[in-house]
Amino acid sequence: MLWSDLVTIAPLVGAIVLSVAIIVVDLIRPGASRPAVAVTLVGLAVIAALTIQTGQTSAHAFGGGYVVDALTTFLDLLFISIVALTVLFAPDYLEPRGLPLAEFAATLVFAMTGAMLISASADLLVLFVGLELMVLPGYLLAGFAKRDALSTEGAIKYFLLGSFSSAIFLFGLAFVWGLSGSTSVGVVSTHVAAIVNGSAPFSPGLAMGLAFMTTGVAFKIAAVPFHYWTPDAYQGSPTPITGYLSVGPKIGAFALILRLFVGALDPAKTDWLVVVIVLAALTMTLGNLVALTQNNVKRMLAYSSIAHTGYMLVGLAAYAGGQVSGLQGLLYYGAAYTFMNLGAFAVVAALQRRPGVTSQLDTFAGLGRREPLLGILMTLFMLSLTGIPPTAGFFAKFSVILPAVQAGGWLTILAVIAVLNAAAAAFYYLRVVVYMFMRESTTESDPSRHSSLVWAGLWATTALTIVLGLFPGPLLSIVTDAAKAIP
Amino acid sequence: MFATFPILSLITFLPLVGAIAIAFTPRSRPGLARYLALAASGLAWVFSLVLVVSYILPTSGNTIDPAGFQQIEQRDWIPVFGIQYKLGVDGLSLVLVVLTTTLSWISILASFGPIKERVKEYMVSFLILEVGMLGVFLALDLFLFYFFWEIVLVPMYLIIGIWGGPRRIYATIKFVLYTLVGSLLMLVAILATAFTYSSGHNGSFAGAFDFLALRAYGPTGFSDSLQLFAFGAFFLAFAIKVPMFPFHTWLPDAHVEAPTAGSVILAGVLLKLGGYGFIRFALPLFPVAAKTFGPAIIVLSLIAIIYGAIVALVQPDLKKLVAYSSVSHMGFVTLGIFMFQTAGMNGAILQMVSHGLITGALFLLVGVIYERTHDRTIAKMGGLSAVTPVYAATFGFFMFASVGLPGLSGFVGEFLVLLGAWSYNPWVAAIAAFVMILAAGYLLWMFQRLFSGDVTEFLKGIGHHLTDLRPIEVVTLVPLGTLVVVFGLFPGLILGLISGTVDSVLAGLQASPAVTLFPLQ
Repeated sequence: MLWSDLVTIAPLVGAIVLSVAIIVVDLIRPGASRPAVAVTLVGLAVIAALTIQTGQTSAHAFGGGYVVDALTTFLDLLFISIVALTVLFAPDYLEPRGLPLAEFAATLVFAMTGAMLISASADLLVLFVGLELMVLPGYLLAGFAKRDALSTEGAIKYFLLGSFSSAIFLFGLAFVWGLSGSTSVGVVSTHVAAIVNGSAPFSPGLAMGLAFMTTGVAFKIAAVPFHYWTPDAYQGSPTPITGYLSVGPKIGAFALILRLFVGALDPAKTDWLVVVIVLAALTMTLGNLVALTQNNVKRMLAYSSIAHTGYMLVGLAAYAGGQVSGLQGLLYYGAAYTFMNLGAFAVVAALQRRPGVTSQLDTFAGLGRREPLLGILMTLFMLSLTGIPPTAGFFAKFSVILPAVQAGGWLTILAVIAVLNAAAAAFYYLRVVVYMFMRESTTESDPSRHSSLVWAGLWATTALTIVLGLFPGPLLSIVTDAAKAIP
Repeated sequence: MFATFPILSLITFLPLVGAIAIAFTPRSRPGLARYLALAASGLAWVFSLVLVVSYILPTSGNTIDPAGFQQIEQRDWIPVFGIQYKLGVDGLSLVLVVLTTTLSWISILASFGPIKERVKEYMVSFLILEVGMLGVFLALDLFLFYFFWEIVLVPMYLIIGIWGGPRRIYATIKFVLYTLVGSLLMLVAILATAFTYSSGHNGSFAGAFDFLALRAYGPTGFSDSLQLFAFGAFFLAFAIKVPMFPFHTWLPDAHVEAPTAGSVILAGVLLKLGGYGFIRFALPLFPVAAKTFGPAIIVLSLIAIIYGAIVALVQPDLKKLVAYSSVSHMGFVTLGIFMFQTAGMNGAILQMVSHGLITGALFLLVGVIYERTHDRTIAKMGGLSAVTPVYAATFGFFMFASVGLPGLSGFVGEFLVLLGAWSYNPWVAAIAAFVMILAAGYLLWMFQRLFSGDVTEFLKGIGHHLTDLRPIEVVTLVPLGTLVVVFGLFPGLILGLISGTVDSVLAGLQASPAVTLFPLQ
């Protein structure tokens, strides 16, 4: 190991040091949440600075297994903001329920380390290690409220299906390694290219390996028909954790897709195009249709998150169909979805501050009168998730649909399916608005004050949701650079 | 005089400034929110009148586009996709902008009494609605146009859903879902045209959303199949807004449940967004498709005209009657547009303006009686002319305007459309003219049931609450009445403004042939 390697992976080292530091702080001041939050936020700021610093120049480390480029930097900063926002929203929810905040924050930072490793991996094994490091803390977090039966049930389902899909993924990886003789993304890519252009014989084993890896990844991003764990895991988890689960592991899994499918399997993209189109169409449509009938907002957002996976897959499909801008759309969508969805979950968590308050739609009845500001912000997030201007969600949809229309053929039909889905989604998102503003409160009003941390996080997500909708230019140029870094 | 002065942006965003100011007022002072809203929309109205003056008397500093657009404001917005912030005004948008600003302040004034709950939120929604509507009429970039088009949706959704009648939630969700399906498909069509434009220009997106660039490129650059598809998507979006038969079913629900001012804006401006969209975007961009689908759309328009009138005839609810009469009257608009000749299109635009004024006033008048009796059932009313003579006279005036009495604005529009229809196909003219008799029937019958005969027991029960028009109500109705008379006597005021737009749209259509959809060989 060289000194230069260590400098390159400085953000990762920082993340591990941070999670240890949080635990140490908790040992010194047991149960005190404010110091833990403060340490986490300062640490995350330092890691962000390190990420930007190392991201100035593209670099490789550990014999090419670890790569730093514009994509790594963009994704890492996104992961860091996801964790920072989650930590801001969590204390108000966890404290009244007696759940330990420091352990929560430390686990979250571990998960972030895994996600950051994925975004920087140029080797299939590193990719797998990163994946496991990201999802294992996720299982812990899903079962964080260990005395709550629903939470435990969700965690067990998440764990069983998650490990199962990891095993499938690893199995596929073994095939690919066995037949290409390397785990390096670059070597696998040349191998696949040789098969595609006919200079090497078609290998059924490699195709099987690809099929297994696709299945494993489809589980991770909760694409239909591999989505069954999502609703229970999301509904059972403590709400701030659900917020994290709906964006963190999803963006992480998309990072894996970018590194694996776009990096290693790029030559064969016309072959997996069909698979992605079918997955995208099924995922959007089923996610939205089932979300229509939900009366629990967390469960509704879980199904809607499945639908949003589908919209992101439209970007990937457009890329496979020959439009590089599809990847920009995918990345833009990822960022926009992160902020609007975390904002929506933050409002749900804020409403559930008192233990025992459910996330049923009834909880939202009359919110516009009880807490007008919270109601207005939730309306903004719902409009953004629907995709109505001037919000981030609108431009995100625009940025994946435009490349799909450009690619033409079946992808135009996919684009039409996507917009029809968006119209259907309006029904269930706006139903929340109906409850908040057009129905009278059914519960007695709860004059609980939300902490300044929650407000800080909410204002941050609100500002990003509006700014990314009105002035998408700057982020668009960042994701353009990031997308260029891949192939 | 306005060389570098962004008057279009000023008009568009003045209401937004008002909305932001209102957001910071204390909830305990609803009066402040009301007067701020009135001031913001009033200022926007004043500046729109200034715009009319500067349009008619172009000065040396005024940028005039060869296609007739003035006061063009252009800034890069999202350069990667060639998306611009581009506003411009021609005669058609000018007329509709003034209609919007006029009806906006009138509606806000008319809400002073009826809206007592959550006044602040109401006024904010209303002003944002005005921003969206003005933006749609002024945008010269398709992305920007779509942006404003969707913004209109949200405040209207809230206005119907929060301040509406008993079935408001059903009505408002229906309104949103109908509109959204159409507009999202239009988004795909906008993207398809932008992409086609860019692939015709070496893959560069510069100008791909610019309406003027697309209009120059589209008629020849877009293939027939793209035109048919894109026109279909635009048509769906606009036909739902107009609304044309069979996409009209959201309208009666939305109108019945909306608060009075919401109905005024819905009928007065929102329905015109559809007609405006046809003339501004659908016809110039996709002339081949417009020619191809034209006859079918004329048939749909005739069905709307007849169907709306027949259904209006049997409505027991006053507001629903006016709503269905809207379907019928807006049928004249689409009929006039799709005959593709000068008289018809002039008539369609006049009809849009006069329908906005007359139906807006009728909804205000329905609101007056509803506020006093909390009922709109025609059967319960009777003998009102004895109790409220001024109200009866005003109602009668606007009722005759809606019937199409010569000398009032409703007559000119329908007359021009019929004139065009006669040269297009006498049968079309005959059917449309027959419906004008039906219109006289349902309106006069309604008037007779409301105002003549003995005062009903129901109205006697209202007692002294049944007052005649109040000064504030007179103030809202007088400008509308004045304009109805002015445009009825001097339709040239509008025709002069719109002739440039009408000529250029028709010239574009002349050059393009229709295609045979289902070749029989």
